Amino acid sequence: MNRTIILLTLIGINLSTAPFAILRANLQAEDYVLSADSLRQDGVPEGKLIERRFTDSKIYPGTERKYWIYVPAQYDRDRAACVMVFQDGGGYVKPNGHSRVPTVFDNLIHAGAMPITIGVFIDPGVVAPTKKNAKPRKNRSYEYDSLSDDYARFLLDEILPTVGKEYNLTNKGTERAIAGISSGGICAFTAAWQRPDAFQKVISYVGSFTNIRGGHVYPALIRKSEKKPIRVFLQDGSNDLDNLHGSWPLANQQMAAALKFAGYDYRFEFGDGGHNGQHGGAILPDMLRWLWRDHPDVQSTRSLSSQTK
Amino acid sequence: MNFYQQSSERMSQRMIPLILVAMTTVVSAQDMPLSQVIVENETWQLVTSGHEFTDGLTSDDEGNLYFADVKGGTTINKVSVDGKTTVYASDAPRISGMQFAPDGRLIACQGGTFGRIVAFTTDGELQVIGEGFKPNDLVVTHNGGIYFTETPKKQITYIPPHGKAVAADIANADGGAQRPNGISLSPDQGTLAVSDHGGENVWVWRIEPDGKLSHRQPYMTMRLPEPDAASKGDGMTTDADGRYYVTTAVGIQVFDPTGRMSGVIAAPTDKPIVSVAFAGPGLSYLYVASGEEIYRRKTNVKGVLFFQQP
Repeated sequence: MNRTIILLTLIGINLSTAPFAILRANLQAEDYVLSADSLRQDGVPEGKLIERRFTDSKIYPGTERKYWIYVPAQYDRDRAACVMVFQDGGGYVKPNGHSRVPTVFDNLIHAGAMPITIGVFIDPGVVAPTKKNAKPRKNRSYEYDSLSDDYARFLLDEILPTVGKEYNLTNKGTERAIAGISSGGICAFTAAWQRPDAFQKVISYVGSFTNIRGGHVYPALIRKSEKKPIRVFLQDGSNDLDNLHGSWPLANQQMAAALKFAGYDYRFEFGDGGHNGQHGGAILPDMLRWLWRDHPDVQSTRSLSSQTK
Repeated sequence: MNFYQQSSERMSQRMIPLILVAMTTVVSAQDMPLSQVIVENETWQLVTSGHEFTDGLTSDDEGNLYFADVKGGTTINKVSVDGKTTVYASDAPRISGMQFAPDGRLIACQGGTFGRIVAFTTDGELQVIGEGFKPNDLVVTHNGGIYFTETPKKQITYIPPHGKAVAADIANADGGAQRPNGISLSPDQGTLAVSDHGGENVWVWRIEPDGKLSHRQPYMTMRLPEPDAASKGDGMTTDADGRYYVTTAVGIQVFDPTGRMSGVIAAPTDKPIVSVAFAGPGLSYLYVASGEEIYRRKTNVKGVLFFQQP
């Protein structure tokens, strides 16, 4: 074990004394590094990652996209697996990326810190051009920043049934989680807000709760709407974007304040990072523990670091 | 140096590649604020006045502006780059939208009882391209195809080069522009965009190799003067960076190539604005038709001429 891991282990020890008080608020941006939970560990069974293409959406006509299915080694076709969807999926499955979710899932499922969960990692669509040298129509903002139920329906009517042909997936909202970064973060919230029956667990990294396509209204909507059965983990940083669409740090603080006011089961981790997945990726294992903490299959909420020390 | 400091330094070195990875995975698309378009301390300047209802703004490759007076005029007028206004074509009433074709002809919507698409040759001769329409505004592609909006028919019509007009899109219960009005292209001419005067969206389509339209989507959402009001999305144009400009009830709304609003440029007066085009030196002036008058303002961007090869 090299010194970097030793240091991370030391941090892990502190954290493990209070599993849900994750909180690295005193750390600086450069401290957002992946812990042992996000790195391959000897003896932990590896799930498989399958790359697919989806080209026949009726909700987003003409779009093409890649998506990936993560199937944990512990998956049993006789038991419906929990489901977790990630927007900008390619970034979440990248072996050297900000979050390395397949490895995190391997470790946390093995440790009993989250249930057996099939991950569905979806890239935003593009409408390919028919002409040489023409650019594709990028559908990311339309799909992610719109406040309609289109994206939730896209998941429930198109993607999940497709994955469900091969794998036994839960149909319970309490067992479906959804996560994303930036516009993918507000997208995760919108899917749950529109369809709380179907998606009840949300993770947002540096979420775009700003006026790209009207998403700045959520704090106001949350405060004056009957509480929905949604559990939300928001992450943001003081050096996040401040641009024509809004201030990400202020918007996320408004979201957190509104969720608190309305009595939601929420967590807000506000650090000093910028508009990237570094902080979110570093705390993803802890976010997942918090998100799945009361699932009947969860046996342990302790971090891997504390278990292996 | 204690253990922690030593480790921190080593970690910093180790983290350089990690930080680089994080930088390259920043997921926000390029932001295109209005400040990239408008020039500080520049505002609208009057170009011409005394008309009844100006419309049909377009430019040639020298930056000369062409316009019509759709209600009171019978001529197509040219404002040269140095500001002189002359008559380009006479006996041309009810012209509401026009653009140059790759062969140099000026293609125009002629509404009212004419109901036709016409062309003015470089010699000033009038040719009828097709009749029996309710044309409002048009765009001409670099291969000479003509797309035009027929607002009351909820229809976008396509006339292929040397071909017959076909309905390229008709709004229905599944969507589409209920009052299709302004029309433009992406700079690469792979995407067609149409403003819905009665609704809140600018709709886009993919242009197929045969000119047909596919994969309709309400890609841009316009700001409305009040909830459920009509956007009055009217004339459209595109700049070389792929921004779309739409004249609306609240000003000229600007959208980035991914459909996100960049901002709203205030109209020159409180009169409705109905047509917008880049013209003038370097195609860098934004012109807008505002009732009896036409205004322009300098910008930091330049327009696109669709008769040119993208």
